[in-house]
Amino acid sequence: MALGLVTSLLLAACGANAGSSPSASRASGGDAAPVSGKLTISGSSTVEPITSIVAEDFKAANPGVDYKVDGPGTGDGFALFCKGETDISDASRKIKDEEAAACKAAGINYVELKVGIDGISVITAQGNSAVTCLSFLDLYALLGPESKGFKKWSDANSLAAELAGSVDKATYGESHAPYPDASLDVTAPGEESGTFDTFVEFVITKLGTERKIDKPTTRPDYTASADDNVIIEGIAGSPSSLGWVGFAFADENKDKVTLLQVDGGKGCVAPDAETIASGEYPMSRPLFIYVNTDKMKTNPAIKVFVDYYLSDTGIASVTEADYIALKSDGLEKTRAAWTAASRGG
Amino acid sequence: MDGGQQGRMTAGNETFPQALSVADLRLDPRRRRREWAIHRLFMAAAVLSVVISAAIVVSLVGNALSFAVKVDPAALWTDGWFPRRGLYDIRTLVAGTLIIAGVAMLIAAPLGIGAAIYLSEYAKPRTRGVLKPALEILAAIPSVVLGFFALTWISPNLIQRISGAPLFNMAAAGVAVGILIMPLIASVAEDAMHAVPAYLREASFGLGARKRTTSLRVVVPAAISGIVAALIVGISRAIGETMIVAIAAGATGGSLFELNPFRPGQTMTAAMTSLAIGSDSVRGAALTFESLFFVGFLLFVVTLGLNLVSDSFVRRVRERY
Amino acid sequence: MASIGRPQPVSTAELVELRLRGATLDWRGHLLQGMLLTSLLLALAVLAILLGDIVLRAIPVFTERPIEFLTGQLSARPQRAGISQGVIGSVLLMGFVIVLALPLGIGAAVYLEEYAHDTRMTRFIGTNIRNLAGVPAIVFGLLGLAAFVTLLRLGNTLVAGGLTLAVLVLPIIVITTSEALRAVPTSIREAALAVGATRWEMVRSHVLPYAAPGIMTGSILSLARAFGETAPLLLVGAVAGTFSSSGNPLGQLFGSYTALPTVVYNFARESKAEFRALTAATIVVLLIVILLVNATAIVLRNRYDRKW
Repeated sequence: MALGLVTSLLLAACGANAGSSPSASRASGGDAAPVSGKLTISGSSTVEPITSIVAEDFKAANPGVDYKVDGPGTGDGFALFCKGETDISDASRKIKDEEAAACKAAGINYVELKVGIDGISVITAQGNSAVTCLSFLDLYALLGPESKGFKKWSDANSLAAELAGSVDKATYGESHAPYPDASLDVTAPGEESGTFDTFVEFVITKLGTERKIDKPTTRPDYTASADDNVIIEGIAGSPSSLGWVGFAFADENKDKVTLLQVDGGKGCVAPDAETIASGEYPMSRPLFIYVNTDKMKTNPAIKVFVDYYLSDTGIASVTEADYIALKSDGLEKTRAAWTAASRGG
Repeated sequence: MDGGQQGRMTAGNETFPQALSVADLRLDPRRRRREWAIHRLFMAAAVLSVVISAAIVVSLVGNALSFAVKVDPAALWTDGWFPRRGLYDIRTLVAGTLIIAGVAMLIAAPLGIGAAIYLSEYAKPRTRGVLKPALEILAAIPSVVLGFFALTWISPNLIQRISGAPLFNMAAAGVAVGILIMPLIASVAEDAMHAVPAYLREASFGLGARKRTTSLRVVVPAAISGIVAALIVGISRAIGETMIVAIAAGATGGSLFELNPFRPGQTMTAAMTSLAIGSDSVRGAALTFESLFFVGFLLFVVTLGLNLVSDSFVRRVRERY
Repeated sequence: MASIGRPQPVSTAELVELRLRGATLDWRGHLLQGMLLTSLLLALAVLAILLGDIVLRAIPVFTERPIEFLTGQLSARPQRAGISQGVIGSVLLMGFVIVLALPLGIGAAVYLEEYAHDTRMTRFIGTNIRNLAGVPAIVFGLLGLAAFVTLLRLGNTLVAGGLTLAVLVLPIIVITTSEALRAVPTSIREAALAVGATRWEMVRSHVLPYAAPGIMTGSILSLARAFGETAPLLLVGAVAGTFSSSGNPLGQLFGSYTALPTVVYNFARESKAEFRALTAATIVVLLIVILLVNATAIVLRNRYDRKW
């Protein structure tokens, strides 16, 4: 108990050091002398536009900094991060347990920083009036591990009926079966994508585990692509298509695709900026950056960069990239986490 | 002139020149050494080409074998090519490759051979002087440009008009690949027809044949080996084409087995690109990285086979004339 | 068919044929000729449409912000994106190709044509080179990935990319140089040997000068081909996102890099509509360079083409 007291005193001391003035200067973007160094950032293609803008603006104030930002996918990004090959990893989902274990095994220490919010939009072709709302139950019946081989929407009717009878409507929503007798053309992200993982987490994992499926994931037989353009065009090109993609992309292409309402147990909710920010839309997901804290100690550019990222000017890039900004309490929490990690408290 | 100084001819004297010895014919040692060094230098350069071939085979075979050994045979015959899920249905890639190559040849073979016959038999020298360079300009267009053109023009204006295809489809990519290889086919076929000696044509005219009879019944059959070689070269190039498919055919992460050209599809080359762009240490099922080399090895073997066959055809043409 | 006009007899055969048959129209023959011409013109029409479509798309970029486009760096913001890094990368890569592939390729060809006896080994090397010339570019990318990036630990640097492109272009240079050397008549060589030249002296003073235009044309065309290659560079790690390096250009050799064709590919994959115009504008720059280089080679060939 004495140890606990001492620890909390120490933490308080660290916290107090990080208190007043630094957050004020952080809010205004900081006025540090230009720093130099190298930044290697990889990971989610969703977060890539944000980080890219931040890096570009950061370089304008700090010409001595070399940076590289790319977006092979959240999973690939973590693979590189946990090998120590990148300084910061962009992610459109939390780090998985096995990835965290890999980092730990390699001796990589990091801090998780939430920087923004995006939604996952379930989409079908423009003009497809047969469906307007789908629940998690429907999505599982159409796209889950037990749906392999369903070539038509109506093939999922029996599975949906079975689920409707056995699962909790408050968790998975109402069934909207029977489904139309039309060809089920699925175009969606592939496994390297954080968007994929988040979808699985929202729609598949709980229900799949309840159904005693081992390591539930989506059905494998659909056109997968890491390229959002391909997904949008694939959906637009078939009258009875189905897929999912980040809300920002879907919103940009409203003329080609229809954004369906999603029922996550509390009724059908249409995706838009408010419902995603408030969490009313059941598939809103946070966007993260993961920072390698050991590298931060040897590379001064990293700390200054993340300071800038989380400042008011830096964080405005989230909305510039058409994503949804954190509410002020969320932002403060992130800033506090960063302060704690960067001051080494 | 360097060389031995022993054979001296003195005018007017009785001294007769001594017989040339071998030493006279030898160069001075410095020149000889330089000659030897240069000879070896050039030989090294030539041997390097063999080294490169060996390097290709070695770099592919190692990882390809590792894949072939470790992979679960059931994973090779599944619904589609989803490497990150451990589903390595090679049929999907082969089907995609053949469909796109097929569409490409449907376009390039008639256009290419037709153009070759025209340039070789009908075109006046001035027309030829204008049209041939124009064809060479077409040949110079990089494939990434044709890929962009397939996506932004061919697909919406041609393919989607005649079918309800999505924007990313194999037919558009196939048409673009056809445009890419047409100048190649035309060039090889025209060379073959050009090589047909004039006396064959003249003999045909001498018997009273029309121009079209001569062209189609005499010249083309005489050049048939070269024409076949042209077609094989075209197929080989179509199979090896990457960027057009990577940009325009869709299905860049994983593809179902697809035989309909008006849907997105995946070829061997595009599968390699999307595997490699992920990252070097590609995540997913453990064999994903090795599958990249396995597909590459397959591609190398197929194109090598096709090239050897077309080579034998070309040599047959050269020998005859 | 009327547009082609009445054919003027060009050969004795046609003249005789006309006299024998009377001036009846051989409509089948003209149909065939028309069809053949159409296939040629169709291909050229596609070329015209392609160039026209791309130039039209690219015009907004060149009228609104030409300088910034050419000198700017890659950016997630379309209104700021520029291709300077691609241009520099491509130029540096070409440097590698010129320094490595040209001497090696010409040297190998000289050996095969001038020095080597017609043995099985020589024929094997010849077949080998012809096969290499037909290997798809992406396989060279795999070679580069395995040998240069991984084995030689060069990583995703421009050096690795340059080596890969040099290896890719090498067989083509050997083949075109061989053809140029073969075109020099044997009598020229014999003249040199007759006055006592060594083989190298003969090659240097008699064969190479006469073959030089052909060698140059072939090399320039190979360079143009390497300039437009994309797939191998993607495999050996040209950047597929945004990057910015400071410091001297020499540092670029060992850091992140990109090239014009890979910039085209990256822009083509962007979802924002504004990037379409940027892709087209980058293609215009790429095509201008490639077509200029090709035109130079063709002009050279026409000017110096000797008829023995």
